[in-house]
Amino acid sequence: MSSMKRGLMLCFVVVAALYAIAEGTLQRRRADGITRLRWATDDNPARKVQTSLFATMTSGVQATVDPGLGGDQTKLIVQCATGTGPDVIDMDQQTMVSLVQTGVLLDLTPYARSMGFDANRTYPALGPALGMSGKQYRFPCNVWANCVIYNKRIFDDHGVPYPKPGWTYDDFIAISKRLRDTPSKSGDKQMPVANWLNLWFYEDMLIGHGGRLFSPDGLVSRLDSPEATAAMQLYYDMMYVHKIIPTAAESAALSSQGGWGSAGLNWFSTGKAAMILIGRWYIVQVPNYPNLQGSLGAELLPRVGDRASCGVIDSRASGVNVKSTHRREALEFLRYLASPEYSRVIVADGDSLPPNPGLARTGADLVNESVPDPAFHQPFVDAVKNARPLDISPFIDPAVVTRWLTEQIEKVENRIQTPRESTRYLASEINQTIRLNLERRPDLQQRFEAVTGQRYSPDWWRNR
Amino acid sequence: MERSPARATARFVTLCILGLLISLPFVWMVSASFKPRREVEEARIVPREPTTRNYPIVLNQIPDPVTHKRLDMAFGRWYFNSLFVAVAVTFLQVLTSAMAAYAFARMIWNGRDTVFLLYIATMMVPGAVLMIPNFQMMVWLRFLNTYHGLLLPAAFSAFGTFLLRQFMLSISPALDEAATLDGASHWQIFWEIVLPLARPGLIALTIITFLGSYQSFFWPLVMLNDTQLYPMSVGMLALDSSYGRQTELIMAATVMNIVPLIAIFIVFQKFLVKGLQVGGVKG
Repeated sequence: MSSMKRGLMLCFVVVAALYAIAEGTLQRRRADGITRLRWATDDNPARKVQTSLFATMTSGVQATVDPGLGGDQTKLIVQCATGTGPDVIDMDQQTMVSLVQTGVLLDLTPYARSMGFDANRTYPALGPALGMSGKQYRFPCNVWANCVIYNKRIFDDHGVPYPKPGWTYDDFIAISKRLRDTPSKSGDKQMPVANWLNLWFYEDMLIGHGGRLFSPDGLVSRLDSPEATAAMQLYYDMMYVHKIIPTAAESAALSSQGGWGSAGLNWFSTGKAAMILIGRWYIVQVPNYPNLQGSLGAELLPRVGDRASCGVIDSRASGVNVKSTHRREALEFLRYLASPEYSRVIVADGDSLPPNPGLARTGADLVNESVPDPAFHQPFVDAVKNARPLDISPFIDPAVVTRWLTEQIEKVENRIQTPRESTRYLASEINQTIRLNLERRPDLQQRFEAVTGQRYSPDWWRNR
Repeated sequence: MERSPARATARFVTLCILGLLISLPFVWMVSASFKPRREVEEARIVPREPTTRNYPIVLNQIPDPVTHKRLDMAFGRWYFNSLFVAVAVTFLQVLTSAMAAYAFARMIWNGRDTVFLLYIATMMVPGAVLMIPNFQMMVWLRFLNTYHGLLLPAAFSAFGTFLLRQFMLSISPALDEAATLDGASHWQIFWEIVLPLARPGLIALTIITFLGSYQSFFWPLVMLNDTQLYPMSVGMLALDSSYGRQTELIMAATVMNIVPLIAIFIVFQKFLVKGLQVGGVKG
């Protein structure tokens, strides 16, 4: 036998042996009569507790986490397109719009009230973001509105007083400058603010300035409004005029990781930044950083002028795959999300605010092992009262708007465009796309007529 | 043309700088894998307090010293899955590509070149476009969430067929004719004559396929729901969530993940370069 043949035979034997080992060592589930729901969500350690509690509360049904790739929806799209998608799907508001338009999500409205997970069971400000066109498509797993979390140890080290309730962006800038310019007692140097996710930073400032993404009917972008431009200008000024947040180049140089803003999270977590604008969910990772324990404070987002503090409210919320073969059990899972038991788990692990507002009336309700100080949690309770969801237009894919907005923010960060140029360009692009979408899609034309009460014509926008 | 020493030195220095730049991310990766968590974000290559703990933490041998909890990861299983799938795919793909290449290079049949062109044309179709049709076929075959679903679609390759066909075209047809006169069948010619002579091409394809399959990410991500079946590339997502990353653990896992790739590349790099060169110019 030639060496080639021997080699190939050997390879065949190795592959066969590996296959036998691989298949032989798989732990196969026996037919135990248990229905296993697939829950498409992020692979957070907190999910283990959440799924275990569900299993104990519902006999014969278990939920298993089916992780995707961060914000990438490829797995979800491919599986849902072929009818093999997960039973329960986590999503943000923008993803919900895409999934509704592609017919993936079940309309929960007929079930929500009778099963106890209608929009009245959660925070009033979040209600509009749970569905579209008067139908409910999801129920929150957690709810967040960003606040400023600060490291008291760094403030003390620099001799700078903590942020006070009612502070404005001017105060925020002044405090940041003091942190930057006052030498610390320890000799350590920190950046004042970890600018960890530029999109969220800007969106919070947009809402804080009273700006909007769209007109109430969703037909016109409002990103060229004075408020939207002022928010972009403030973001630019923080970077290049006040020098309190790292520039794009500085962020890139400082970041050892890249991707989804985690570098900023790590800067704050490792005590290299004094403040971060973020939701209560940040404290999930406090156990990983013992130095943070006992040194975290929080305050509402700064105000703009005489306006009340205000930012974006959003939620990681679950919907049901319309093709799920376990629809009843999936709806039971949503009922579980609305239960006080589930909300208690969220309170304990710190994964933002619980869906049930009855368990988050005061900061004292939210005290947990990681952060036992009620004063820390109170701003997050207050924040959801004034926060509002981002506008969604049915006439343009929200994912496209987000992508373009991020691109323009990056151009401002890199001084490729001025804030004014960016917001103008953005609004113009969005408006053109809305017109184009309307020209091409009769379903959108019908929606146009329903929204405006006028007959659609291709030059509708000339009169606006 | 005679080279001046100055030019040679300049070239050497430039290449050294480029080499350093290219290797810097790898050096950083290895360095970060030996850093404690509090040092990971520091812009220094050499750790102040180097530690090897990140490796046993990833391997689930010891709990995380900060949280006192073991990671919920089957790292060993994922490592095995990656190696198994890569080895099996490589074996199947090299075998099927060699057979197809023989048919396209050494056998004469009606429409051969047209079929070959059509087959090669499939290389022009982006993978993302084929994702849903391929996935749908796996669903029909009930291969979703199985090893078969990872192996079968990767067992055939237009690129591999093209590469080996180019090799086989470079082997003298006189050998086939002589063997045929001696009464050899196509199967014997394939096994006894053509395949041994195409060895550089087979090795090149083996390396390319192994590297590609070992690093494969999207297909396993989409095909698998059961964590037991995950390869390393998908399993490592467990260390990366929107709630923060443990960079030092990701780097330790990555170092262990790429060890087989680097080992294979070092051992076979001579064949890889040679194979690609020969495959590129003959035909």
